[in-house]
Amino acid sequence: MNVLEIEDLKKKFGSHQVLDGLSIAVPEHSVFGFLGKNGAGKTTTMKIVLGLLQSDGGEVRVLGEKSVYGQNAANRFIGYLPDVPEFYSYMTPVEYLRLCGQITGMKEKQIRLKSEELLELVGLKGVKKRIGGFSRGMKQRLGIAQALFNEPKLLICDEPTSALDPVGRREVLDIMEQVREKTTVIFSTHVLTDVERICDRVAVLNNGKTVMEGRLDEIRDRHRKNALLIAFERKENLKRFIEEPVFRKLLTASKKEGCQVIIEAADIEQAESELIRGLNETQIMPSRLEILEPSLEGLFMEAIQ
Amino acid sequence: MRAYAAFTKKEFTEFTRTYKLLILGLVFLLFGIMSPLAAKYMPEIISQFMPAGMEIEVSAPTALDSWMQFFKNISQLGLFVAVILFGGIMSSEYSRGTLIHMLTKGLPRRTVVLAKFTAASLLWTGAYLLCFGAAYGYTWFYWRSDANMSGLSVAIAATWLFGIFLLAITILGSVLCRNSYGCLLFTGIAVVLQFLLNMLPKIKEFNPLELITEGTPLLQGQIETGLFLKPTIIACVGTLLCVTLSCIIFNKKKL
Repeated sequence: MNVLEIEDLKKKFGSHQVLDGLSIAVPEHSVFGFLGKNGAGKTTTMKIVLGLLQSDGGEVRVLGEKSVYGQNAANRFIGYLPDVPEFYSYMTPVEYLRLCGQITGMKEKQIRLKSEELLELVGLKGVKKRIGGFSRGMKQRLGIAQALFNEPKLLICDEPTSALDPVGRREVLDIMEQVREKTTVIFSTHVLTDVERICDRVAVLNNGKTVMEGRLDEIRDRHRKNALLIAFERKENLKRFIEEPVFRKLLTASKKEGCQVIIEAADIEQAESELIRGLNETQIMPSRLEILEPSLEGLFMEAIQ
Repeated sequence: MRAYAAFTKKEFTEFTRTYKLLILGLVFLLFGIMSPLAAKYMPEIISQFMPAGMEIEVSAPTALDSWMQFFKNISQLGLFVAVILFGGIMSSEYSRGTLIHMLTKGLPRRTVVLAKFTAASLLWTGAYLLCFGAAYGYTWFYWRSDANMSGLSVAIAATWLFGIFLLAITILGSVLCRNSYGCLLFTGIAVVLQFLLNMLPKIKEFNPLELITEGTPLLQGQIETGLFLKPTIIACVGTLLCVTLSCIIFNKKKL
């Protein structure tokens, strides 16, 4: 079942068509990475889903319920973490979460238990000071706690890691990984290593459309090029390698980049064994030899071209 | 209903912890104390500043002078302070984006408007009662039984109602405009409009502005209490209208 379905979404700001027929579907219990350049329309899409912005066309459904602009009842399924979460600075984290619980109609006891559980999860347990004195990282973590408070079916995070230091980023990603069993997570980012760490599905947004969408491993498989990378420490070794007649057949489909050569072959294992045999015979020692995996960065660059 | 109560409580917490409650309370307490004192000591102050040899006939101050001062202070400065304090009730949330978390959790938008109006009305009522209590106490202290003049309760209630009406206009202004200056301008224009309409005798008898301008004449026995009926109805209808409109507009407001 799809938790979120977006069909043919359109949005224009002035003369700039930000979204131009965007369609995505997010299945249950996935961690969905929503990628795109700065200004590609990631935040705009999320705000339309939440009813904070009016779309110019298209439809958004959350758990089958239509999402509308303004007073949006579908929000009861959603937890949202904005890119810069803002809180009432005069409250303590416990008071803030209590307010969150009360406005969603939770019972007092339930609120207390949930607050404890979530503050523990985000590492803010026992913090008594007011939110006004929090660091960016602490606010981001409290942001996750508030977003998860009413046990949403869909957690939407807008660039949750982009302003954090490496420690804060790691913590936030760990938390998101922990909650994936209970909820579906969508998060937008342009930090590709974060996506590689926790996402199982991705969509890449470019010029207002999805240019790539699907399971990350499937996309990788689809874009797998059978290629071997062989790198040398010194130029002389590279020269010897290229001029050696043993490798001539292998090097027919190859590309030289600095001190390394990328060899493409239909049967990668056979090519590898031939290469190793040749290297052994000629005693040319490479510094590195690997089968190339398609990197997300490469896929991303390819997709947004 | 619980969401409404929780959000109203949040407004009170905000007013307490950002010292707005303290400012409101102190200013209104000051007005309450000052009004009778000013009435009592005005003749002495005037005579102190008179050039030597000049005599001026100043009648002995009465409880009426005290209440006249009270209504003057409240209707001019008191309401002004209240509108300034409440003018930012929405705009601070817009500019900081603090409502996003609340609304994306499914808090109905009208609840936000109604809770804010409730909190503002209760705070105004509290501050006004404080002010009235202080003024009454001092007036009683100086003039004893004269303090409770005929028509006083009607005049007091009328000014209170005008305050509520003004707050409803302020809320509407703060839903219409993004920043607090826009809201203050909107409220200011609404008040000026009422002053202008007061020049037309046919409209004057319906004008809510009568609620604050006719308090003193009522105490002086120049007019009947019945004169307040039409402005009261208009003020009540106006308040309802402003709050309803605010809810409708806020439902579709871009945040």
